[in-house]
Amino acid sequence: MATAEFNLRDFQSGRGVGQGGTAVLRRTVRLIAISLMLLIGLTATSAFSAGDAEKGEQIYVQRCTLCHGEDGDGMGPAAERLNPPPRDFTMAQYKIRTTAFEEIVPVDGDLVRMIHDGMPGTAMPGWSDVLTEQDINDLVAFLKTLAGLEEEEPGQIIDFGAQVPISPESVEAGRKLFHEDDRCSECHGQSGKGDAVKKLKDDSGYRTWPRNLTKPWTFRGSNDPRDIFTRITTGIAGTQMPSFDDPASEGRLSIEQRWNIANYVNSLAKTEKVVRPENIVIRATRVAGPVPVTPEDPQWQEAPSSTFLLVPQLITPDRFFTPSNDTITVRALYNQDEIGFHVEWDDRTRSIPGDGAAKKISEPGLSEDAVAIQLPVTLPVGAEKPYFLHGDSRHPVNLWFWRSGSTTADPSVSLVTARGSAGETTARDADAVGLQGSGSYHEGTWQVVLRRSMTTADPAEDLQFVEGAFIPVAFSAWDGSNGERDSAHTLTTWYWLLLKPQPGNTPWLFAGFAFVLILLIEIWWARTATRRARS
Amino acid sequence: MSTIKKIPKIPRLAQVVLVIGGIYTGFWLIFDLFLGQPIPKSLMGMYMFFVVTGVLMVFTATEESTRQLVHPIQALAEDPARRRWRNVVFLVVPGLVAMAVFLQMQPSDEAPLELRSIHPAPPSSVKIFGKRFDLMSLKNPYRHLQKDDPEQFRELVTAGGEVYIRNCQYCHGDKLDGKGPYAQGLNPVPLNFQDIGTIAQLQESFLFWRIATGGPGLPKEATPWISSMPIWQDFLSEEQIWQVILYLYDYTGHQPRSWGHD
Repeated sequence: MATAEFNLRDFQSGRGVGQGGTAVLRRTVRLIAISLMLLIGLTATSAFSAGDAEKGEQIYVQRCTLCHGEDGDGMGPAAERLNPPPRDFTMAQYKIRTTAFEEIVPVDGDLVRMIHDGMPGTAMPGWSDVLTEQDINDLVAFLKTLAGLEEEEPGQIIDFGAQVPISPESVEAGRKLFHEDDRCSECHGQSGKGDAVKKLKDDSGYRTWPRNLTKPWTFRGSNDPRDIFTRITTGIAGTQMPSFDDPASEGRLSIEQRWNIANYVNSLAKTEKVVRPENIVIRATRVAGPVPVTPEDPQWQEAPSSTFLLVPQLITPDRFFTPSNDTITVRALYNQDEIGFHVEWDDRTRSIPGDGAAKKISEPGLSEDAVAIQLPVTLPVGAEKPYFLHGDSRHPVNLWFWRSGSTTADPSVSLVTARGSAGETTARDADAVGLQGSGSYHEGTWQVVLRRSMTTADPAEDLQFVEGAFIPVAFSAWDGSNGERDSAHTLTTWYWLLLKPQPGNTPWLFAGFAFVLILLIEIWWARTATRRARS
Repeated sequence: MSTIKKIPKIPRLAQVVLVIGGIYTGFWLIFDLFLGQPIPKSLMGMYMFFVVTGVLMVFTATEESTRQLVHPIQALAEDPARRRWRNVVFLVVPGLVAMAVFLQMQPSDEAPLELRSIHPAPPSSVKIFGKRFDLMSLKNPYRHLQKDDPEQFRELVTAGGEVYIRNCQYCHGDKLDGKGPYAQGLNPVPLNFQDIGTIAQLQESFLFWRIATGGPGLPKEATPWISSMPIWQDFLSEEQIWQVILYLYDYTGHQPRSWGHD
């Protein structure tokens, strides 16, 4: 049951990657922990008293109603402001379950797990720190009454067969199955980012998004191959994710095939796009030649990347509650004349106003996709920075915009000086300061380059980049197919940009000077001491 | 006492080095290894400065102890028998200093430290909803209902819960533990109301001020430019703010602090 949590931590801390010893140790510990828990689980289900639905109702009223509603129909006061919406328990549809496709009834352990671990990537937290095992059992008993399942026998757990271990051969076999006849790639995209070609809805009419398989920390039920195997086998209830073990379906796959796909999906994890909380500095790398112009230029990979969480704009009117973009990855390169930012973010939809296909998969009101880089106009003195959302009256910010264009307009770059979100904003001439940009969209990912000269003619209006200074920088992104325009967007708070200067010879000079100085003092001291000792 | 004397005596100078090294290793063990939260270098430098100063003060408390400490160093320079050692030490020490200078001169890429006051002193009065509120005497107008009309009080708590879930949970979390879905994307991180060090230490009037005026209403020492707390008087009514305050205390089981004994 702790698999999801463990996996998530591995990825978030990045410890699962590149540190062989620790990773193996963790995996072993995890295996032992899972086996132990399974063992305890097996004995516990018989030993523990079944949950008490009446006690469960009390817990439900105290902890769950605000989202899931008094009647368990998912219509609590928060419902309209959550994406995905809270589960409707009266439907008896449980997404993360281990019972076969044709079985409606989950095993209690499935419900226990969702409450215990929560649903990563949603507003549903894990409750293991607040509720005891018994509390959770009681709650599960109550949840079953909401769906009329209290008298039902639990369904049959799926057949896992013999797990196919992760190997290059299995991953390759899985890759073929994934793409064969667009089996999985039809919805999950060619590179697994869930880039939409269809507008999917669940049984209640809510929009659903195929999982971005390169971001395993958003998997509701972890990216452990066993969990992925389970999802492929059971399908996801209430959504268009089908079961690939449905006896009635022609698309039925063998157990081995399903393990191969599970191993392939597990391999899709793009670990470089993991948010590392300690990584708050974008370290710009100095290049000898020109700063690359196109986002595809391999030279960008020379710069270390920093990935930040995008949060929805919930701070000033009009607030925006249901974002789709979740992270942004940034690199920076510079030379003596110019600095360039390379920003990259996963966006399932390429939003082209005027385009029929784009309109089909868009929410009402299709706008351009866009990104903005925010910088203070002047370098902060001391700790005081401009207000992180569009600056303030005393501390203006520069906003560098890139917009994706429409069927009738090319992508565009623009420059704005802002003095607070309610304050005055000045549209400026981007060409005049040499601000240039270029973007490209490929299989669910935008890559955009924005470049400007290191200095401009007007230091009162534009930031002058200098080496060695910590420069506050923040980002915003708009998914035009998700109703995002103007104040409805995602953003980051302030992070830092550092143009790391070349140290040159100075440290060597100073170190040599220190060495000689200390040595001279010592010699002087030794001489006076011996003289004193003699006399 | 006699057993203690049997232990071979460690020279005073070595004791100093051992104590300082031990404390440094202790810091490293606890924060880097066990907690996985290394102390920033600049802060560590500050701590170690005080540690070294403190240790030296203790070891030079009396003239005798000072002599014991300084003697081996003096002897190194004065005693011809130790000439070879002296030469080694006299080369190693400037070498180490040179290395430290060299490393110090390397440009740092560690982010500047941002220290902020979490519960800044409130102003005595503040303008909210176009009215002046005296924070010293301001009380939650609904608090008395907890005793006087428990049924109505429950309704107000529920109303506060609705306000909370529709506005606050994104950052402060369903469980009021500061771990909402977007908490990790914010710096400073949202407050954990379950923690004994937050609302349990504060008056309701303080919460009213903090909620109504948000991050931009903070005094300068609390770095208002980085707090993501919205200005809630733009979105909520005065009544709603008092209701959500009732909910915060009710859900966490904390009691608000009060000035007097009413």
